[in-house]
Amino acid sequence: MKFNFRVSPNYRTPLSTQRIMTELTVGIALVLAYSVYFYFTKLGADYGIHALLMILTALGTSIVVEVLWALFYKKNIWKHLNTSFPWVTALLYVGMMGVNKPLYVIFIGSFIAIFIGKLVFGGFGHNIFNPAGVGRAVSVLSFGGFITDKFADVVTGATPNQVMETLGWVIKDPAVVTKYLDQFGGLWSLATGGYVGGLGETNTLLILAVGIYLAVRKIIDWRVPVVFLGSLFAFASILAAMKGMGIWYPVFHMVTGGAMFGAIFMMTDPVTSPTSIPGRILFAFGVALLTFLIRIKGSLPEGVIRSILFMNMMTPLIDRAFDGWAFEKVKKYAISLTVIGALGFLTVGVFANQVDYIAPVVEEEPVVTINLKGEPVVISQQTSPTAVIVSEVADGDVTTFVVNINGYAFQSDHSDDPKPNTLEVKINTATQVIESVAYVTFSDSKNIGDKTNSDVFLSQFVGVSIVDETASVDVVSGATITSQSVVKAVNAAIAAALD
Amino acid sequence: MSLLTGPGREHLNGHKDETLHNDIVLVKPKKEVFVPLNNGSSTKVDVYVNEGDKVFVGTLLARRNDHFNVPIYSPVSGVVGAKKNMMHSVLKPQEHLIIEDDGKYEKVESFKPLDYTTATHDELVNFMMEAGIVGCGGAGFPSYLKYKKPENINTLIINAVECEPYITADYRFTKESLEDTVLGVKALLKMSTAPKAIVAIKKTKKELIAQLKEAFKTESNIQVFETPDVYPMGWERTLVYEYCKKRYNRLPSEIGIIVNNITTAIAFARSLKYGEGIVEKVVTFSGDGLKNPTNVRVPYGTKVSEVVAQIGGYSSEDVLVIAGGPMMGKTIPTDEFVITNYTNAITILKNNPVEAMECMRCGRCNDACPAGLLPVRINNAEKMKDINWMTQLRADQCIECGLCTYVCPSKIDVTEGVRRAKRALALKKG
Repeated sequence: MKFNFRVSPNYRTPLSTQRIMTELTVGIALVLAYSVYFYFTKLGADYGIHALLMILTALGTSIVVEVLWALFYKKNIWKHLNTSFPWVTALLYVGMMGVNKPLYVIFIGSFIAIFIGKLVFGGFGHNIFNPAGVGRAVSVLSFGGFITDKFADVVTGATPNQVMETLGWVIKDPAVVTKYLDQFGGLWSLATGGYVGGLGETNTLLILAVGIYLAVRKIIDWRVPVVFLGSLFAFASILAAMKGMGIWYPVFHMVTGGAMFGAIFMMTDPVTSPTSIPGRILFAFGVALLTFLIRIKGSLPEGVIRSILFMNMMTPLIDRAFDGWAFEKVKKYAISLTVIGALGFLTVGVFANQVDYIAPVVEEEPVVTINLKGEPVVISQQTSPTAVIVSEVADGDVTTFVVNINGYAFQSDHSDDPKPNTLEVKINTATQVIESVAYVTFSDSKNIGDKTNSDVFLSQFVGVSIVDETASVDVVSGATITSQSVVKAVNAAIAAALD
Repeated sequence: MSLLTGPGREHLNGHKDETLHNDIVLVKPKKEVFVPLNNGSSTKVDVYVNEGDKVFVGTLLARRNDHFNVPIYSPVSGVVGAKKNMMHSVLKPQEHLIIEDDGKYEKVESFKPLDYTTATHDELVNFMMEAGIVGCGGAGFPSYLKYKKPENINTLIINAVECEPYITADYRFTKESLEDTVLGVKALLKMSTAPKAIVAIKKTKKELIAQLKEAFKTESNIQVFETPDVYPMGWERTLVYEYCKKRYNRLPSEIGIIVNNITTAIAFARSLKYGEGIVEKVVTFSGDGLKNPTNVRVPYGTKVSEVVAQIGGYSSEDVLVIAGGPMMGKTIPTDEFVITNYTNAITILKNNPVEAMECMRCGRCNDACPAGLLPVRINNAEKMKDINWMTQLRADQCIECGLCTYVCPSKIDVTEGVRRAKRALALKKG
């Protein structure tokens, strides 16, 4: 007979951290699965496969990093993985990344999330910042413009909040509201993930359903999402009331910018949020306040993750503030939370008063003169591209000039290895009229310079007399520099033809 | 304000069915009993008998004689033997007085029975002291102290909640002693000077609730109060809060309430009727480490090992023997210790060690703590040996109910950390 000794109590709940993490994993996986399905069915297999590869890259990277860590510290690998849960971080991280991200960005981001975000602090339970949030912040700040070329068209689609940012976060005119929401398929589409965004962030209602399940199962504390979403809704309602916007506006705040994803999956991370109930309430309120202020007043269109990371930093302070005996202090807690809440609402009121609708700027199209002397064409302060005549072939009256000219790519750091654009300018030397202008090869920045590669722009040159010193064309809005470079190339051809 | 402090309670799987429906089994010591010469933490006990003396069931053997007065009566008839130092359920060796059991159980009246209806308040309090009535909820606190100077008492709460898993001793004992229950509660009500009494019992115990209601139907000032099936509903503070939504500082009498266990009431009734102290106890022997979980009625001083052997033995070679329930009971690394007159359960569990992992700061322990403490923070403070921090966190308020360890998903011994902090504070104070 063996009689053992163990300190009391000797009775434990069947609920384990492993089970909590498993249920959480299933919840996130469900949300990601929806996205993959959405990409496969709505955008095509290419996108679906890429989304899957992103998820696998994140999972693979995080698990490999943890295994190496375990090997380095001579820990049992299975035991380490089973008490460190790298896949949760990986899925959360990839859930916040758009489908256009190259796999190497996901690789780097996952590595940073696990290694810098978690392991260097001492591993699971010791990290200060939400590891997935760290991975996402680094990815966005360092690799924001890095996109997979073949998904360029998706990339460009500005997120609902980016567009909202340009409008000053206030739209009063119902017609504009409808037009604005319709570009994302309307409010219902925004709520159910019918648009392209972070892999796991778009389907608000699905995330909410998962969240309700997790809260009922007591995997997460219901107070955190309720306080966050409730506060955010209230803040947006204040602004809506002040500016005369409808109920769509607070709902819009709920369903965009990863608000629900953050509320259910990121803020409820126990490791990086306060341990006491009043602490968690303050934490969630703080995230809501910061998120709303960053949205309406910050220079960034979105702020949920940044706000979470900031409040992560406040967690030790909040924990300290609510240290004590609850029975003795519960009244104080209630009073201080009320006061902080009131101050928060006051702040929102003050800032909300300052924002207003920014009508989209209709850019005045600058007129560029085609001038034989070439003087008015100023492409940039830094460099003025030189047009190089590559070839000149006369075919009867029509001479075809092939001209190389540096486009916008040379002016920006958009590309590491910019190549000049090549244009073909046909000039009838007999009538002294331009017959056509066309691109032979276009190597310039996508979505910017390529706007000049259009009939609307290029056809302006057709029929222009090469001796008419007052002739002019309209530049393409948003591609002024490349437009001007085309003019310069045409000018070079004219100069050669007159020679 | 549980929105801000957490529920402070939790439904546990009670494992009550193992013993709930079976009658109490009578168990006798084999040859000798060991009467512990201590009461609670006090060992200041005067012994009145000598080796070789003949004693009867109810003979006064000794008396705790410090600031409390608790007589110790013989549980069996026989001959007084030597004193022996042996393991006690407080998890410390204590001096025990051996009595050779002659198997006859010849009784003497320890004191004169008393008619509570005609007795004065002071007579009743003295009687209770003389009867050696101690709190039978598991703590063994002398009961008479609660009734000494009742002031502005508005309610007497009879605690029949029995919230620890596995334990059904109160349930069975009450079921088999309904008449004594009524007598005991009425006597305690008179002593308490309160206008009314409630018998608090978990609402899931439907059968006993019906029987109690029937038994008390003529007593308009005694009501049955049904509580939720949560732990630690039977703790004085949780129970009082459930009843009147009020908290108190040290004792419930501050807000006009006296709480006593139902088994204590029955024991008091028996002493009033028969002039006997608590010489035998109904004890739940349960847990998956036993072949036949059973409620036994046994003279106190009987060894646990003898009881286990008589009810069918262990079901495993590797067990934990717990004096009390699995939540608050102490593990005793032997079965060579005795049932005391306030023991209500011996829980025997198969030894299934769990491995703790890193704390993820989920705060479940904070939400669950019925004492309104922050166990995870206290553990942090204790690890850092920061006495001021532990003081600020009021580690001294812990009652070691064990709920923080129970709810911990990372399987950390949270309660033990708080216990260490509490000890550190006590040492600093003392």
